Amino acid sequence: MRTDMASMGQGVAAVMGANDDVIHRIGNLIRMLRDSMRALGLDKEVEKAAQAIPDARDRLTYIASMTEQAAERSLNAIDRAQPIQNDISARATMLAQRYQTERDDPQLMADVESFLNDLPKMVDSTNRELLEIMMAQDFQDLTGQVIKKMMDVIRGVEFQLLQVVLDNVPQEAAREDYQRRIDELKQMEDSRRESFLHGPQVRSGEADVMDSQSQVDDLLAELGF
Amino acid sequence: MTDKNLRILVVDDFPTMRRIIRSLLRELGFSNVEEAEDGGDALTKLKQSPFELVISDWNMPNVDGLEMLQQIRATEELKKLPVLMVTAEAKKENIIAAAKAGASGYVVKPFTAATLEEKLNKIFA
Repeated sequence: MRTDMASMGQGVAAVMGANDDVIHRIGNLIRMLRDSMRALGLDKEVEKAAQAIPDARDRLTYIASMTEQAAERSLNAIDRAQPIQNDISARATMLAQRYQTERDDPQLMADVESFLNDLPKMVDSTNRELLEIMMAQDFQDLTGQVIKKMMDVIRGVEFQLLQVVLDNVPQEAAREDYQRRIDELKQMEDSRRESFLHGPQVRSGEADVMDSQSQVDDLLAELGF
Repeated sequence: MTDKNLRILVVDDFPTMRRIIRSLLRELGFSNVEEAEDGGDALTKLKQSPFELVISDWNMPNVDGLEMLQQIRATEELKKLPVLMVTAEAKKENIIAAAKAGASGYVVKPFTAATLEEKLNKIFA
């Protein structure tokens, strides 16, 4: 019994010793990795990539809310237009029927006249709703611009990651493959002067950003335009 | 009263936005409308035949809206052409740059039909 206890104690000590050794070695590896990343300037790149993530989150939130708003605007306009269309159809059907059976009823003429008088107003209302549905489609441009910006960010992160891998892959064949992918990414960059262009404002209330057309008009008036 | 027959060039890289602006213009009575997909395409079209108004986006590939505006103002036969910017760029520095380059008006996306009409009336007042 006592021997058992002793051997168990020795076992535990051996495991503890091994653990210490493993922890020590992992610690060394982390230090080496950190040093070599700093030496290669990769810590900055990783930091840049990490900073891109909150921005990407804001952009995705903007896209989600713009598409939701557009869908809601369109559906609301349809909800308003449909009863008008139904009313036009029902009144026209009713008058056509009465025209067959009550042609001599003097009230029929009055009802036809009143329907014809109402018709342009009803059609105008429907047209306004159609216009509203059309305007709601502007989300495609606005979210499209934000998506393009996000694709640039993702391309940048991919570029950095490939560069890290390329610098650390020993096999010649694999390096060629990574270099080819990096070259492809470079070709995808377009020539826009992005540094000056910000695209749709994905966060409201930022400094030096006009939140409405009237603010733009005021600014231009202030400048004498 | 603005001449409803005047020839308008709508410049935007998003076909959806070109269609929206074209439909709004038709709604306002303007049906003589052509389209261009970026500033370079627009400049080619402007040099080929006369237009009375340009409605342009800013952020476009190849030649962007500001460069196009600058080139229009630097071209003798185009320099008086009214150019209305319709763009998502809402920063103060952008609006100032467009005004300095000679934009005839500045509309921030998303915009309303009423805003577009007001700016057109102002240009042709």
